[in-house]
Amino acid sequence: MSLFIERLVNGLADGSIYALLALALVVVFRSTGQLNFAQGEIGTLGAFVVSTLTLSGLPVWLSILLAMFVGFVISAGVERVVVRPIEHRNPGAVIVALIGVFLAVNQLVAMFWGVDARGLPNVFPDQADDFVTILGAPVRIARLGVIGVLIVVLLLLWLMFNKTKIGLAMRAVANNQESSNLVGIRVGTILVVGWGLAGAIGVLAAALLAPSAGLTGTLMLGPFLLASVAAVLGGLDSPVGAVVGGLIIGLTEAFMVGYVDFLGADMLFPVMLVILLVVLLLRPSGLFGSERVERV
Amino acid sequence: MSGDALLAVTGLTAGYGPVEVLHGLDFTVGEGEIVVILGANGAGKTTTMRAVSGMIPRHGTVEFGGVDISGAKPDAIVRAGVSQVPQGRGTFTDLTVEDNLECGGYTVKGSIAEDLERWYGVFPRLAERRDQKAGSLSGGEQQMLAVARAMMSRPKLLLCDEPSLGLAPLITKELFKVLGNLRDEHGMSLLIVEQNAGMSLALADRAYVLETGSIVATGTGDELLADDTIKEAYLGVVN
Amino acid sequence: MNLPVRVVKGSWQNWLGRVVLFGGVGLFMFRAMNEWSRSGLGLLTDALIIAIAVTGLNLITGYTGQLSLGHAAFFAIGAFTSAMLVTGKVWSPFFTDNIWTPGWTMPVAAVVCFLIGMVVGIPALRLKGIYLALVTLVFTEAVRALFKYGEFEGVTGGATGIKGFGYLPPSWTGLDGRSDLVKWFFWLSLAILVVVSILSAGLLRSRIGRAMVAVRDNETAAAVMGVNLFSIKTLVFGLSGAIAGVAGSLYALKLTLVDADIPIFGLFGSVTLLVALVVGGAAQNWGPFVGAMFYVFVNDFARGVGEAPSDAVILGWFVDSGTKINGLGGVTFGVLLILFARFVPFGAVGTMRMWRSKLVQVVPRVPAVAGVVDSRSSGPLGEEGSGSVDSTPSSIGAVESPGPIDPDRPDSPS
Repeated sequence: MSLFIERLVNGLADGSIYALLALALVVVFRSTGQLNFAQGEIGTLGAFVVSTLTLSGLPVWLSILLAMFVGFVISAGVERVVVRPIEHRNPGAVIVALIGVFLAVNQLVAMFWGVDARGLPNVFPDQADDFVTILGAPVRIARLGVIGVLIVVLLLLWLMFNKTKIGLAMRAVANNQESSNLVGIRVGTILVVGWGLAGAIGVLAAALLAPSAGLTGTLMLGPFLLASVAAVLGGLDSPVGAVVGGLIIGLTEAFMVGYVDFLGADMLFPVMLVILLVVLLLRPSGLFGSERVERV
Repeated sequence: MSGDALLAVTGLTAGYGPVEVLHGLDFTVGEGEIVVILGANGAGKTTTMRAVSGMIPRHGTVEFGGVDISGAKPDAIVRAGVSQVPQGRGTFTDLTVEDNLECGGYTVKGSIAEDLERWYGVFPRLAERRDQKAGSLSGGEQQMLAVARAMMSRPKLLLCDEPSLGLAPLITKELFKVLGNLRDEHGMSLLIVEQNAGMSLALADRAYVLETGSIVATGTGDELLADDTIKEAYLGVVN
Repeated sequence: MNLPVRVVKGSWQNWLGRVVLFGGVGLFMFRAMNEWSRSGLGLLTDALIIAIAVTGLNLITGYTGQLSLGHAAFFAIGAFTSAMLVTGKVWSPFFTDNIWTPGWTMPVAAVVCFLIGMVVGIPALRLKGIYLALVTLVFTEAVRALFKYGEFEGVTGGATGIKGFGYLPPSWTGLDGRSDLVKWFFWLSLAILVVVSILSAGLLRSRIGRAMVAVRDNETAAAVMGVNLFSIKTLVFGLSGAIAGVAGSLYALKLTLVDADIPIFGLFGSVTLLVALVVGGAAQNWGPFVGAMFYVFVNDFARGVGEAPSDAVILGWFVDSGTKINGLGGVTFGVLLILFARFVPFGAVGTMRMWRSKLVQVVPRVPAVAGVVDSRSSGPLGEEGSGSVDSTPSSIGAVESPGPIDPDRPDSPS
């Protein structure tokens, strides 16, 4: 039982990180109908920024906020400078451009920070004795903290989308760009803000993952892939779907590694493929996705 | 005439890529006037609307309230007081009725609570359904929503792109009554492009006939209604 | 002389153009073989192998409009099939000795990938766009995981892979065993690319080819017109996979080893193939070749910039000779891709065609009815890819061709 609780919490914590990254992917997809291949790499770069800032003596939480701002600016810049000039002309070209951004950011990290792994301090207490006991199981506070961050981010996003003017405009743009333009919304600004927001969330996900996973240039490669699976599983245009998808994948991973010996971590992707196929063959637009979304 | 007109368009050309659709249109809309541009499919009606509201690149002058808005972006044109009801209604189908109206008031600084109540008063059906998704409304209700949404930006001029499209005759009649009320009770000016000659000309103060991107006839609504060639082309009746 | 010059399809001028094009490429290949260094020729061979795989991808993604990020899986399956057969890791029926020569493993790889490709085509009946792309991407990583899986180690080599095989040139080629190995693989790859390209062009001209394009342009309309979506999607996915499988087989034989951790067998490989396709020009017959050449040689150029930045333009002014900047090569390539997407959005071949169509146009042989060409030029309002004679639009690589521009139309330049 205690092992089960531990695995459950670990699965939810990893799932929260996938959910955050998947949320970032969904925010971008809703605004421009693109899968941002560079989302994970922008997160990695942000995590390295956190590392540099903490080394210079700033508190971790402040470093993360500043790095999120950097992620916002980079991601917004990608929309404005790289994607927008080609977007309406050719979806294939946009994919190539985003892969170019992926590569450039990935290698930029290698250029500035080298290829050696480094540690990243945790924003939550993470010493050996920092755990609480739930139903007899020791649960690390840092892991609970990650789940807490997801809940806070969800709350903030909900407030933004439903209670602010810019959130309303973002929903309008996601639904109908032409009409948004006609009611006087500056669609371009909204797209930049959406991409920027996604960049910031991606950095947050990376900064939460790095303390346990170790900070390297390939930090977000696996998580990006799993987050994409999560986003597709939940429905690419559904924030709720992203969260549910992320948690499903985190739990699947934790329980598979924990309880299915003959599969273990090595067979993660074959299992993901089976899950994806089962869900998508029943619901081709994901669990919570709306059917009409198809802009590729 | 263009001196005191609310909207004065001269030499308007526009198109898509290398294809020119409008070949130099001149028309005006006066204060408190309903002007109808009548045209068949492919005549350039929607292009005219998109050109006036700044959605596509255009040449020529568009003056609104004496100010040149030819180079303005769509949001600036909305702020200036020109609001459009797009073809096919263009409601935000995933958003609630109330969200739709709030989007309509996006450019308004300050509270829009009074505007909401005012247009709920004009369209009680929308008030009943304020928390419903716009996509779940009937075609007629969505058209009313589109009109109300456009009015939320407190415009002086309302552009309506084929409002009767896809509506049953009875609903169209109701809609045109509403559009007439906007002029008579709210002092609005309207520019309507239509295929439905009978109902729109009956409502219009003045009308133009658009054919393959050029204006070929103009007159008051009644004059055009009495014109045999118009009757033949747009009403399908010959005396 | 009025531009563009119109050339009737099949006329001697049209044939002259083709002879010049093919002759030029042939001459280039001939010179490369005789004058290039071994490493240069090796790189060219890599480009040819990638071009074969991209030719396969072009069938399903370029012409049929099904976005696949799964072709590295076929590439890997082809490679492992060859490696397993040649080294006798799998059961050979009726024979105690291993009968598989390297050359004969290639058609087997093709058949295996064809069958698996047909199965992968089934989800494509329900899934579209990014959803399909993601599923095929996960398929790639799943296949890689299966090859690595410890339980299968006896057959696939597990985490260490399979080593110790190769493909020496047969005696009839007149090439000398090991010293001419580079030339042998160069010729073999070139020959296979030519054969595959001809077969693919033939397929596109057939009923199936027209059905493929119909499915891409409007699936519902195609189905209504009687195209069997199930047959077309599974068949083309199968053929497409088979071609990628042959490329993988060739790759393994050239490399003389397979290992599931080789990047091109995973996510990276699928992305490489898609980038090469788009960069070359999706749904263009020369696209895979040009895209693969671009990918391999520009990547090599970028790597050179990273390794010796002092030799590069502009950058060289700021960098001391002898320094090596870690990551600069990748950044350079990434930026080049971004710029390419921005300025050559329809791929190299698509853009070259657009330029060429301003000078020369190939028009079909039609009875001289007045207005035939005009009606095409004033087609629907700026619709993407409307009306160009010898290029076809695609969901991913659409050539926004203005169509033949009629100099007599007053409003055509805008």
